[in-house]
Amino acid sequence: MSAAAAPSATPKPVRKAPRKPKPAPGSRRLSPLRILGSVIVWLFTAGNLLVLYWLISASFKTPVEIFTKPFDLPYQWFHAGKPFRNFVYAWNNAGFGDAVLTTVVLVGLATVATVAVSAPAAYALTRLGVRGSGGMTNFVAIGMGVPFQTVIIPLFVVLSKIHFDNQYGLFVLYVALSIPFTVFLLTGFFRSLPDELEEAAAIDGASPTRTFFSVMLPLARGGLITALILNAIGLWNETLLAIVFLKDQAHFTLSRALFTFYGAASYQSEYGGLIAGVAIVVLPMLVLYLLLARRIITGLTLGAGK
Amino acid sequence: MSSVTFTDTTRFYAGVEKPAVDGLDLEIADGEFLVLVGPSGCGKSTTLRMLAGLEGVDDGTIHIGDRDVTELPPKDRDIAMVFQNYALYPHMTVGENIGFHLKIAKMAKEEREKRVREAAELLDLTAYLDRKPAKLSGGQRQRVAMGRAIVREPSVFLMDEPLSNLDAKLRVQTRTQIASLQRRLGVTTLYVTHDQVEAMTMGDRVTVLSDGVLQQCDTPIGLFARPVNVFVAGFIGSPAMNLLESTVDGEGVVLGGTRIPLTPAQRSALTGPGVVVGVRPEGWDLGEAGTGIDAVVEVVEELGSDQYLYCRTSGSDKVFTVRTPGMAPWQRGEKLGLAPKPGAVHLFDAASGDRLPDA
Repeated sequence: MSAAAAPSATPKPVRKAPRKPKPAPGSRRLSPLRILGSVIVWLFTAGNLLVLYWLISASFKTPVEIFTKPFDLPYQWFHAGKPFRNFVYAWNNAGFGDAVLTTVVLVGLATVATVAVSAPAAYALTRLGVRGSGGMTNFVAIGMGVPFQTVIIPLFVVLSKIHFDNQYGLFVLYVALSIPFTVFLLTGFFRSLPDELEEAAAIDGASPTRTFFSVMLPLARGGLITALILNAIGLWNETLLAIVFLKDQAHFTLSRALFTFYGAASYQSEYGGLIAGVAIVVLPMLVLYLLLARRIITGLTLGAGK
Repeated sequence: MSSVTFTDTTRFYAGVEKPAVDGLDLEIADGEFLVLVGPSGCGKSTTLRMLAGLEGVDDGTIHIGDRDVTELPPKDRDIAMVFQNYALYPHMTVGENIGFHLKIAKMAKEEREKRVREAAELLDLTAYLDRKPAKLSGGQRQRVAMGRAIVREPSVFLMDEPLSNLDAKLRVQTRTQIASLQRRLGVTTLYVTHDQVEAMTMGDRVTVLSDGVLQQCDTPIGLFARPVNVFVAGFIGSPAMNLLESTVDGEGVVLGGTRIPLTPAQRSALTGPGVVVGVRPEGWDLGEAGTGIDAVVEVVEELGSDQYLYCRTSGSDKVFTVRTPGMAPWQRGEKLGLAPKPGAVHLFDAASGDRLPDA
């Protein structure tokens, strides 16, 4: 307090701002629905956290610990001075080394390709005022409603005929299957951007291509990042298509390698190693999400208007 | 710098029979500040957007100087526009926002930065050049939008209600700034507003639109002193002109106890027996009850400099607005007599709404 700087001021009673300002009257009332809602939300969150805790702690345990003390903290391997023994085992026995490379490249390329195709498509569908764009948007969105499991056999037949039943075919499938959702997601983002920005760009002399790249795309960044993350998580975890289309062990993705490893590890009762393998597959996506969640939420269009 | 000419310009919107702008003929002189004013939906923004090239022209032409720009895209028209919500690019800094056009026009970096700095100095934005629009106040954003327009040195400025998002005090300040800036730069300007005070204070000339049709285009004084029809009479002036329907009785019209004579020219211009008599709030003489129109003061609005009395007449049950000097001792419920001052009466034909020729 710099009260001394103002000599004439008589010492005023110090007013302290409340730590939490009062909510609007009535907004805090406990309705049965609100109580039920929070109970469900908290149970759901607790359940998820419990599973996550169990997964991480079990990946450091011996099989005996996993089954006798499922919710205790890991002890045995730490005591033996080899805390990462399970991870080392999983990494060496499941062929994760190659699989990580394959997965990162495949998922990375497929995600980028999906967004690179979907963003201009979504922009054209929402912004260029093309005749029938509403119908076309719906047509693309229908793709979301087709479960890919139902078309997996025809896809396999077609792709194996043209000798594309390998990681390249899988790349094409991943991109094709991700586009409907991504276009749908991005049309929403582009539609929410104010018209005036495009008009201002047009008056500033920007061509439609320039407007797309230097005005609209940066503003849709939140949407693009969301699309990238959601697709990356989905494709990273994708197992069924990988099982069907990948035959060469050298080009297995992580989830495909884990599937093979599951058989071997459970046969040898290496449950600690198996769970460590699951953790290796799951945790990178969790970290990715935690790092980027804030960026998804931050609205970039703030300040565009008044 | 150049003039702007609308010739029989018409714009339809899809699915609407009535044109949004109907056969507009308007000429804006080189360097003139012309204000388009009218109620919402009157076609003023459409007119501006047609000149900007953001809206097609269904009929007629638009010229900037000698160039026919009717079919030109916005970027080839040499115009700059200030949007109502400013439409600043939120991911660019103030400097980048102002210089975006120059960058697209491939101006050399040093020249571009010099122009941006000059514009920023003119608008007192130098300290904010590296900030993003989200970190600016409303008034600063408005100035950035202005900067984006003036840095281009265009032949025409277009402004679409650029002050409507500012608070009342800032609006009055910025109003003067924009008007003086425009006079200094001497760039032809088309300014759209729904606020008739803005229109009257800023424009060299003011154009009143209603339902897509041009009503009157005149200097602020001309609009105020000689409105061409009932719509303009009621729209320009605040509080609005008192309009009273009456009928011709012999050689004049009777207003309360006062008889207003009609000249032969006025009588021959009438299309029916009905006459609308208009008197501005400041056009009344206040007298004792029993002289002129008897009325009772219903509401007193004290503004300090002025006082508005809302008086209900005993006969016609209409409410008249009367302007008196501020701090006058009028009270609610007081009785008074109203008589129009000589020369303060506007006469209109009731059927067509047109002004009768002046005596």
